Amino acid sequence: MSNSIEHADWKIHWKVTESSGLIIYLASYKNRRVMWEGSLPYVTVDHQRQVLSIDEESEVHGPFWAPLGVRNLVGAIRRSDFRGGFELAADFCVGQGGPFRYTQLWRFHKDGRMAPWLVIHGPGLHDSHTYHPHWRFDFDIDGAADDALEHFEGGRWTRVAEEGWLPYTGESADNATVWRQIDFGTGAEVAIRPHHWEDAELFAIKYHDREWPPYSPRSGSAGQTFPAGYTGDESIDGEDVCLWYVAHVHHDAAFPFTAGPWIRCAF
Amino acid sequence: MARDKRARKTASRPGKIQAAGRKPASKATQPAARSARVRTRPTASLTVDPALFDPLTEGERADALRVLTEDRRLASMAKVARYRVVAIEPLVLKPPNELFGRRVARVVAYDYAADRCVDALVDLDNGVVAALQIDDKQPMLGRDEEALAVAVALADERVKRELGLSDEPLAALHYWSRRDVERASSQRSAAVLFGQAGARPTLVAVVDLADSQVTEVVPAEQW
Repeated sequence: MSNSIEHADWKIHWKVTESSGLIIYLASYKNRRVMWEGSLPYVTVDHQRQVLSIDEESEVHGPFWAPLGVRNLVGAIRRSDFRGGFELAADFCVGQGGPFRYTQLWRFHKDGRMAPWLVIHGPGLHDSHTYHPHWRFDFDIDGAADDALEHFEGGRWTRVAEEGWLPYTGESADNATVWRQIDFGTGAEVAIRPHHWEDAELFAIKYHDREWPPYSPRSGSAGQTFPAGYTGDESIDGEDVCLWYVAHVHHDAAFPFTAGPWIRCAF
Repeated sequence: MARDKRARKTASRPGKIQAAGRKPASKATQPAARSARVRTRPTASLTVDPALFDPLTEGERADALRVLTEDRRLASMAKVARYRVVAIEPLVLKPPNELFGRRVARVVAYDYAADRCVDALVDLDNGVVAALQIDDKQPMLGRDEEALAVAVALADERVKRELGLSDEPLAALHYWSRRDVERASSQRSAAVLFGQAGARPTLVAVVDLADSQVTEVVPAEQW
């Protein structure tokens, strides 16, 4: 299968990496660049105590993780066309026998929607655990520079001036989107709508040459984890912006769970 | 520059639970860009050769590692040879970076002799190390490290005692503890899961990869 797909007004390229799952790069919609690269660098898993007494911490141990990459890929990448679009799917199984199993999806719709999703199958070590998939989106809407980020809060869209953390508080615009990145030059935008049940948050970071995508959520032995470790106080208004979308999915009886946002391009 | 920037950050851990430690993004006083009049100046999309993103060939990977280990700045790492290669993958940089348009390999290794992460960009077109970061980051485990963790856990007497007849190693994952008193908070560690394929794991062994020893053995249901 070719790693370049042109269909439903989209043109995308894809590859499987050692560390970041199924990556989409140089994605264009209606012949206009939308994304330089989108990836799923890691899924960390936290376990909580199953039975908790009043004096005990809920989490005794820290998180662990293994990269979704070639080493955990099961079978081939699948391309399917559906009514109004196409999708790519990849299965990953961390470990023999699969205590942690995932299906990564990238779906592209003719109406401009894009869905980077992760189906989490479980089962994990026990029932009390939480998954934290981290997506990294380097949107280059009509080019890399001259972008602004907005966050819907207090009943209106607010421009984000500096790098930082932008949690989903339950508030959203009428179309359920919570964040949007806009190109000043053309007014084109990419809007992000979180999954209602995954307690999502967004980190906005100015793109830096020296901040290559991390190969781990752990920045140092005692340091801030990534992507929070990247956020400082630099201005992102009018800059090349990189977004991290982090979902928090607690394991319960309703698994499998499909995590990840809806992303809509509007020109 | 990136390291300086990170130095300003405070310690936290992943997950919504630690949200209080995060820096909320500050909001501008300007109106929303969508509602304001946007400039009509078109922004040119970059033309880039998609082949630059292609996976590296075996030869390119070997070339990248060879160039890296021959770099004088890493002479002691190469000589002592207690490093493990974590990943060698292509990286495509945007302009104005001088590496834009070149075939670049990113090599990530962990040097156990110095407890340091080596993160380098190798310009394959010119056969030079174009950028080098050496710091205390903890990259993912390489395949060799996963195999080492399993071997260390299997040789441990406590693990042997706890395993059932049909239990086997299921997975080795990169792990760190949040409690400062534990070795796994500062030492590069793995969690090795044991059990039967297709069922939930029954046992977790934490392996200190630097000292090749098991530091904790926990029944999976108590993890």
